[in-house]
Amino acid sequence: MESASLPVGHAGEHEHHGPPDFHRSARIDQTVLGILIFILSEIMLFASFFAAYFFIRVVVSPDSWPPAGVELPVLIAGINTVILVSSSFTVHYALEAIKHNNHRGLRLGLGMTWLLGATFLFIQLNEYVHIGFSARDGAFGSIFYGLTGLHGAHVFVGLLLLTFANIRAWRGHFGPEQKNHLGVEVPGIYWHFVDIMWIVVFVTIYVI
Amino acid sequence: MAVALRQPGWYRGALGALLGAAFGFGLVVALRAISGLDVFQTEQTGYPHVIVPLITTPFGFLFGFGAFDYWFRWAAGKPTVPEDHANHGATRWQDYFKFNTDHKVIGIQYVVTTFGFFLIGGLLALLIRAELAQPGTQIVDANVYNGLFSTHAVVMIFLFIIPMFAGIANYVLPLMIGAPDMAFPRLNALSFWLLPIAGIIFLGSFLAPGGAFDAGWTGYAPLSAGAPLGQSFFNIGVQFAGASSIATALNFLVTIITMRAPGMNLWRMPLLVWANLSTSLLVVGATPFIAGAQFMVLFERALGMNFFQFLEGGDVISYQHIFWFYSHPAVYIMMLPGFGIISEIISTHSRKPVFGYRLMALALIGIVVLSYSVWAHHMFVAGMFDWLRVPIMITTLLIAVPTGIKIFSWLGTMFYGKIHTYSTSMLFALGFIVTFLIGGISGVMVGMVPLDIHMSDTYFIVAHIHFVLFGGSVFTIFAGIYHWFPKMTGRMYDEKLGRVHFWGTMIGTWGTFVPQHWIGLDGMPRRVADYASQYGDWNLVISVFAFILGTVQLVFVYNMIVSWRFGPKAGNNPWRANSIEWQVSSPPPVFNFDQIPRVVGGPYEYGTPGARHAIMGDEDELELPEPKPSTVAGPA
Amino acid sequence: MTRLPYLKLVLATLALGTVISVVMLQVDWFGDAAATAAGPIDTLMEFTIVISSFVFAIVCVALGYALVKWRVKPGDEGDGLPIHGNTRLEIIWTLIPTAIVLFAAGYSWVVMNDIEDKQPDAMTVNVYSQQFAWTFGYPEAGNKWSEGEFHVPVDQQVIFKMHAQDVIHSFWVPEWRIKKDNVPGITTEAVITPNEVGTYQLICTELCGAGHATMRAIVVVEPREDYEKWLAGLDGEVPEDLLLTADQAIELQKQLQGTEQGIDSSGVDETSAENVDQS
Ligand code: HEA
Ligand code: HEA
Ligand code: CUA
Ligand SMILES: [Cu+2]
Repeated sequence: MESASLPVGHAGEHEHHGPPDFHRSARIDQTVLGILIFILSEIMLFASFFAAYFFIRVVVSPDSWPPAGVELPVLIAGINTVILVSSSFTVHYALEAIKHNNHRGLRLGLGMTWLLGATFLFIQLNEYVHIGFSARDGAFGSIFYGLTGLHGAHVFVGLLLLTFANIRAWRGHFGPEQKNHLGVEVPGIYWHFVDIMWIVVFVTIYVI
Repeated sequence: MAVALRQPGWYRGALGALLGAAFGFGLVVALRAISGLDVFQTEQTGYPHVIVPLITTPFGFLFGFGAFDYWFRWAAGKPTVPEDHANHGATRWQDYFKFNTDHKVIGIQYVVTTFGFFLIGGLLALLIRAELAQPGTQIVDANVYNGLFSTHAVVMIFLFIIPMFAGIANYVLPLMIGAPDMAFPRLNALSFWLLPIAGIIFLGSFLAPGGAFDAGWTGYAPLSAGAPLGQSFFNIGVQFAGASSIATALNFLVTIITMRAPGMNLWRMPLLVWANLSTSLLVVGATPFIAGAQFMVLFERALGMNFFQFLEGGDVISYQHIFWFYSHPAVYIMMLPGFGIISEIISTHSRKPVFGYRLMALALIGIVVLSYSVWAHHMFVAGMFDWLRVPIMITTLLIAVPTGIKIFSWLGTMFYGKIHTYSTSMLFALGFIVTFLIGGISGVMVGMVPLDIHMSDTYFIVAHIHFVLFGGSVFTIFAGIYHWFPKMTGRMYDEKLGRVHFWGTMIGTWGTFVPQHWIGLDGMPRRVADYASQYGDWNLVISVFAFILGTVQLVFVYNMIVSWRFGPKAGNNPWRANSIEWQVSSPPPVFNFDQIPRVVGGPYEYGTPGARHAIMGDEDELELPEPKPSTVAGPA
Repeated sequence: MTRLPYLKLVLATLALGTVISVVMLQVDWFGDAAATAAGPIDTLMEFTIVISSFVFAIVCVALGYALVKWRVKPGDEGDGLPIHGNTRLEIIWTLIPTAIVLFAAGYSWVVMNDIEDKQPDAMTVNVYSQQFAWTFGYPEAGNKWSEGEFHVPVDQQVIFKMHAQDVIHSFWVPEWRIKKDNVPGITTEAVITPNEVGTYQLICTELCGAGHATMRAIVVVEPREDYEKWLAGLDGEVPEDLLLTADQAIELQKQLQGTEQGIDSSGVDETSAENVDQS
């Protein structure tokens, strides 16, 4: 996807000329627009699970939610929320740093973000182990694991993208020009989405 | 060999597939052995050792085939090989079998592959018709029959119509807006290669114990949740097909938004571009819902989760809400690009601007918005919330309004025009209007709750489906292929054979699907392998016409193959059309334009002397305004 | 630009629309009618057919006229008139269809309320569907029950309460014009007043598995005396696991979930293939 934002050809390196420059009819960067549209469809994927959640909770069992005997660890999940939300700030910091050509700040920010994200995932897995019901335990269990698991998968993908950004940051890539730090900006946008989605999941599942 | 295995390509792809399969299989066996579970669980819906490899093998193949090479190098921070233009353009037929990133090559890959799926889906339809030719059970038993119409519909919808439109647009859309390629060429190639994978998975389900998936293309839970292994093939195949459409739609959106030639503002975009913009909005917004629905069914089947099991506190009907929230927009995903094609063709062949261009574009957007609000009209008798029926009925019927605007505007385009009916594309466009009209009208009928209570799940619905999908989508696809065949191949097809194909298809379609209305109203339910003998005569008629319809398609195949090889040279602009794709050579050069064209007017300025849509880069700008260039004349 | 022969076009449209309507109205599309709902539904259908005929006629006349009038002679390379649109026309063909469909929706709504109107003296029949058989219960007659066949008195409103025990099935008697899905876990309802004595067929119209095509039952509408006689002959002794109210059924399902067998031992055989032809 990267090269698409660098449409300038590599004339001379090959026997025929590269893709000619195209006319930019919008100011937004293509990769950024791409990730935004992708996020739109991700939101709809979550929406389909929320639809299932709505039917299970509001239509089928409005009175017994969560089912008797189930105690959700709201406190731990709350702490986890704080962890994930703070990682949004660190990734933002990393982006700001590289915009000012501060490579140390970039590495610090990206590294922190990665660690915070991994911690979140670890705590989440730990919660699964201790929560006392499984995904097979009725629709409640299924939708709980369905929504948090779907979100966890997104954290995992986000971490993967951040891994790439980290590797490249340590190799000294990226720079203050936008086209040179898309590799930070785009995973960053995705990461913000993962965060906001978690807040929605957290509020629906644990709080209300 | 060793070198071949290191280079991206078929050898490495095969190796990757093998490794992927081995990895998935090994993972399941190891994990289950460690947790002390029955390693080869083969209860009806289980089979983890089949399901997991079904997911890992395609990824292995794609890795090996070279779909991710660039991204991996980039991600690992290695110097990326700058766009390898060996993969751009096609000079030999072998180039079509590569991970090619040229939108024109990908377009042709799409069109040819999906047409192959049409033949397969059609063959399945002919098997259906053979079984239904007489009451009683002749060729297949009820189980196989259920598998036949389920795969028939799935192949037609997910592997033919949706990707075929994506393929046609892939070819012409960048040309139309003056872009050298799509915004994300590698993603574009990846989208294509996901399709054969989905196809193999869908059709592979015939080999699964218990037979192909057989819960209908709608796969309603709880029937699908308890169906044999084949159903999982559907759940997984849909994910690949769906990812392919989402990626393509994303690509179209970014391309249309950011890569238009200078001067091409929104109101100068050809309607095909508008149509694909609208379709893409539907795809990115709705397709995730079928992904979600099929994930949930897969999780029920493979992991024992419960979303739709009422005994476990699940909601049976919620599956239908989630499914139709995708699948109603999907029917417009299968129609809007066709509307775009028809606008291009009718305007070009009537030599007149599209009547009411802006309202035409707004009607598309109107359909997109309404599409999201009508899903529950498939559930009028499903036992859903009663109060939802009237609001949904109103929005459903309202869709007739923007659709009517389109039909009337096409007619308006023809009025006072110079209508050329010699070309098969125009014939299909005209045939489309009347045939789709019938399908639209039957749609309005089933949209009315009291009528739907009687008609739902009968052959009346089957008739509606095929009038809109065959008379609508397939007719527009044929029209589009005929229209752009000279551009894609540089050669002219045979109009005489084209006319045979058109009339045969027209007669076949009406003969096959008109009587289905009657037997449906009279009491024949759909999805049955056997029926009361009173419907025998009409079913025989239907089957005969279906076989005529099938045979006639062979004429098309012959025409396309022979004309591609031996047809007369077509010239750049055989239809004397205005839009940009016709101003470049046929087929266009590798990056479409030496210089980006400048757009100076609307796309359909026929009849206004001197009016231009675009000025090509190699024209001398000082000589403007110049008279319309009289390009190569049509084959008349 | 020549003026269009408006009058001729309108007359042609009216003529064609009338001819199509008249021809179409000759056909008895829905077949025999045997319930009160059929009246309003069939009238609604006739209304729709007339509207549709005229819509179809408008398009065909316009298309035909354009083709006859403006089809080019061979060799004519000219262009048509550069007309880009006509706001008044566009408004017309937006508003008129809007009015038509809104009227159709309103009319449908009225019909819907009409056919779903419940009377105080309605009787209740429980419908149980399972792969691939039907069972019927009469809760107001001491939970008597019947398999594969049910009777109802003529001219008596019946509220069918439907329950599915495995997958979704659908209850349809074409002559009654009413169809309703039977959904596991919830009770759906259909309100029907049979008004024609006779024997009909109940058809399952929701794909439910291999036996879907043959999942049928016999429906007998008869004078009240005959009905009473038939009812008296039924078995009132409900087998232990066949329960005749919805709540009972769900309760039992929940109890049985561990044993994975549901209420499938109600003794109903899969209806045989011959059943398909019995009407
Ligand atoms: C290309 C695909 C396509 C298209 C375009 C449509 C278009 C429409 N469809 Fe259809 N539909 C399907 C594909 C499609 N459908 C499929 C596949 C199914 C079955 C799924 C399954 O169960 O397997 C289905 C089922 C289906 C149902 C469910 C039936 C049932 O199962 O009980 C309903 C109900 O409302 C419906 C309604 C409509 C309506 C109102 C339109 C409208 O958009 C039509 C609008 C067009 C016109 C009306 C004609 C032109 C208009 C004018 C000339 C203006 C003047 C007209 C009037 C005033 C009436 N469709
Ligand atoms: C999307 C488009 C689409 C298309 C194009 C078609 C095309 C056809 N369909 Fe299909 N159909 C559906 C979508 C489509 N259908 C859907 C969505 C359903 C609902 C499924 C469900 O209930 O779940 C359905 C269901 C359906 C049924 C109802 C089954 C049932 O309810 O029991 C029937 C029955 O007649 C049928 C028939 C046909 C026929 C005769 C054609 C003909 O047009 C086909 C024409 C034939 C050919 C094009 C064959 C050409 C090929 C050859 C001559 C051989 C050469 C072959 C090779 C070289 C491989 N279809
Ligand atoms: Cu029961 Cu179909
Ligand atoms: Cu729909």
